[in-house]
Amino acid sequence: MPATALLFILVGLSLIGWLTARARAARFKVAGQRFSSLPGHFGWYVALWTIVPPLIFLAIWSTVAPALVTDAVLSTPAAAQLPPPGFDRAAILSEARELGAGRAYGAFHGLARLLAPAYAAAQDRYDWIATAAALLLAFAGGAFAWTRSKPGFAARTRVERIVMGALLAASLIAILTTIGIVLSLVWEAGRFFQVVPVHEFLFGTHWSPQVIDARDPGASLGAVPLFWGTFFIGAVIAMIVAIPFGLMSAIYLTQYAAPRTRRWMKPILEVLAGVPTVVYGYFAALTVAPAVRDLAVAMGISWASSESALAAGLVMGVMIIPFVSSMADDSLAAVPSSMRDGSLAMGATSSETIRKVMLPAALPGVVGGVLLAISRAVGETMIVVMAASGVATLTLNPFASTTTVTRQIVDLLTGEAEFDSPKTLAAFALGLTLFVVTLLLNIVALTVVKKYREAYE
Amino acid sequence: MSKSLVAQLPTGPAEPAQRVPTDWTTGAMQGRIRRRYAAERRFRLMGLAAVTLSAGFLAFLLATMLWQGIGGFTETRVTVPVDLGAAKLAVTPAQLDGRGADLALAGAGLEGIVDTSASRAYGKDGDNLLSGGAWLTVREAIKADPSLLTRRATFDLPVASPIDVAYKGKGAPEAEAMVARLTPRGVLSRSLNTGFLDSADSTDPTRVGIWGAFKGSLLTMLVTLLLAFPIGVLSALYLEEYAPRNRWTDIIEVSINNLAAVPSIIFGLLGLAVFLGTFGLPRSAPIVGGLTLALMTMPVIVIAGRNAIKAVPPSIRDAALGVGASPIQVVFHHVLPLALPGILTGTIIGMARALGETAPLLLIGMRAFIAAPPRGLTDPATVLPVQIFLWSDQVDRGFVEKTSAAIIALLVFLLAMNGLAIYLRNRFETRW
Repeated sequence: MPATALLFILVGLSLIGWLTARARAARFKVAGQRFSSLPGHFGWYVALWTIVPPLIFLAIWSTVAPALVTDAVLSTPAAAQLPPPGFDRAAILSEARELGAGRAYGAFHGLARLLAPAYAAAQDRYDWIATAAALLLAFAGGAFAWTRSKPGFAARTRVERIVMGALLAASLIAILTTIGIVLSLVWEAGRFFQVVPVHEFLFGTHWSPQVIDARDPGASLGAVPLFWGTFFIGAVIAMIVAIPFGLMSAIYLTQYAAPRTRRWMKPILEVLAGVPTVVYGYFAALTVAPAVRDLAVAMGISWASSESALAAGLVMGVMIIPFVSSMADDSLAAVPSSMRDGSLAMGATSSETIRKVMLPAALPGVVGGVLLAISRAVGETMIVVMAASGVATLTLNPFASTTTVTRQIVDLLTGEAEFDSPKTLAAFALGLTLFVVTLLLNIVALTVVKKYREAYE
Repeated sequence: MSKSLVAQLPTGPAEPAQRVPTDWTTGAMQGRIRRRYAAERRFRLMGLAAVTLSAGFLAFLLATMLWQGIGGFTETRVTVPVDLGAAKLAVTPAQLDGRGADLALAGAGLEGIVDTSASRAYGKDGDNLLSGGAWLTVREAIKADPSLLTRRATFDLPVASPIDVAYKGKGAPEAEAMVARLTPRGVLSRSLNTGFLDSADSTDPTRVGIWGAFKGSLLTMLVTLLLAFPIGVLSALYLEEYAPRNRWTDIIEVSINNLAAVPSIIFGLLGLAVFLGTFGLPRSAPIVGGLTLALMTMPVIVIAGRNAIKAVPPSIRDAALGVGASPIQVVFHHVLPLALPGILTGTIIGMARALGETAPLLLIGMRAFIAAPPRGLTDPATVLPVQIFLWSDQVDRGFVEKTSAAIIALLVFLLAMNGLAIYLRNRFETRW
């Protein structure tokens, strides 16, 4: 039976359970007694007992079933011809599985065609077992809940306990995700560092993963050029664009602009942050990069690259403007108005008040915002994948080609390499570095902003 | 007493010194004021310039995409007379009814006949004129009207990519020459490219479409929404309404805030290592993309949800508790319905971000060339932003306008989603 049909039947059963239990509970009457639970609670109690146990069973079953099916197939006579465990054996088995499930029509290995009927039969058998067990569990659970539903039974407490459990479980997903990220990065990076020493990776200045010497893989996996490129594009060039524009926009919109202008311009600037990064990347590669190269050639730099750091950094800076602007906006708004009023009353002009009173007071908030913006720029991927170069160079020249950590992660993982090669694992080491750096930047930024908020509260 | 600009503090019991008022009319003072006011004007102008330039960047970006991409929604067609009656295709009317019609017409050599007709009409390189899929147009026409097989008819057929590029703007020299030769005869025309909206990826830019990628995006977003929305709302409710103040709650809060700031590519690494590596889910499948994006979107929904829940005044909770509702009833009957508009707004914004996301999906293999729209959650698929990325890498010049056209489609969608979010916020948000 297809999984969706089974699910529909289970949902239907629990719906029946809900309706009947509710109708039954509505007729509960004991003279002179009031119940803690409404009829709906009895309905939910029975419905949950009907659907949750089979769902848990099916979830566990789906992890166990493939192994059971494979075991059944291996015990057939045809399986005796299989090669010993290894790549061939796995390939034949997976082909046979696809054939048996009707997802494939031809097979490369002849043996797979022989095994396919066995697969289909075993799959079919275990599917029926699972269906029967799930339905049995649904009926058993429903019946159990049904017999317990009596007048005076605290169905509400039971149901609410389950709901509370679901709430707690949902909020634990965030922790699980964080743990998942950390574990998967640390695990894969750990395997990388078994092959390449940490110091060679962190302090080596030569990066060319295309040709890795098997005897000394660390020699061509030194990530310093990547770190420099990331810093140069994300924290220098992008910020040279984003900080003045973001800060001045925030100042103009909060201090000078008419409320009407502000109401229109603020969302328009925020659209800049909502444009997908792939669009920025295409724009950078197609329009900005050739313009930057032409400019460089006109300035007499004939070797200027069309994948320059400047093009990627400029476009990234434009993308970051709204972040800087909204953080600056918040910190300017948090400066007590008495400071501003005092300065104006002393005869300072608006710009003098802003530059000499408000900005110094808001500085920690602005700095925090800039750090957050840097962490976003450092982790930005598509712009550099499409507009920056894949060649790692240590250079100070914005017209030269530079690469970044994110760009290299994409390049390393989208090639044809195997999952266990140092090349693939290097991507996880880079990812771990990126994760740690952005995490630190965020923590520092949030601490700075928090301290600053407390100063004026 | 000396004349000082700074008022002296009174010393001792003596009378405070009379301060001479500043004479604002002197030349020096007037000059200072002028300079200060000029600085004020400059500063203000700089602010205005920053805002205008930032908005200008946006306008320039959008205008560039529109300018380059609008042509992608049209295609160039050329009028070709095809004498199907004379060609005597070996196809019986009965064959045209069933499902074998496509095969029968292809087997009868329809493609060759169309090419020959083009050569006959426009010279020996006439068959280079037509798009590889031109004969499909004839095939569909025959299926719709089998009587075409017995007579001579003219068809408007899509042209090959180089001609298309040359006709719309600047192309390769040979294509330009061909267009210059054909234009006076009045056989070239432009029409809406419906194929762009209802077909999938292809190697021929005249035959590509966004439907395959769009369907992949829809399936991926469906998975993301089904996972991220309930989990996000439930954990926002828990953290805001029930969570005790202790270390565990702090850890949950810190991880949610950090997840919201983790670069998206890290989620791609997570998806690659956990969903593909450990769980062995299929590569390139919308379900893996949806799972990965759900983990990324969930923190956004939690943060928006908590703000919306926080905005519901405590008096409502107190009133509900006062008439005997249980804590669960208070939240699910009163707080959640009131906070829902805010939560939905945050959800839509989070989903819009997920819809435009590319990097994590590249890592889990959604960058394969996929020529058929996915039929299910486990079929290989690609999504709209990744399709844009793939087309932007193509060398063929015909892909430039297709890339920009796909970008227009994506932006229209994002705009619609954000517009809906703004509408919801304005329509349903209550200020207490």
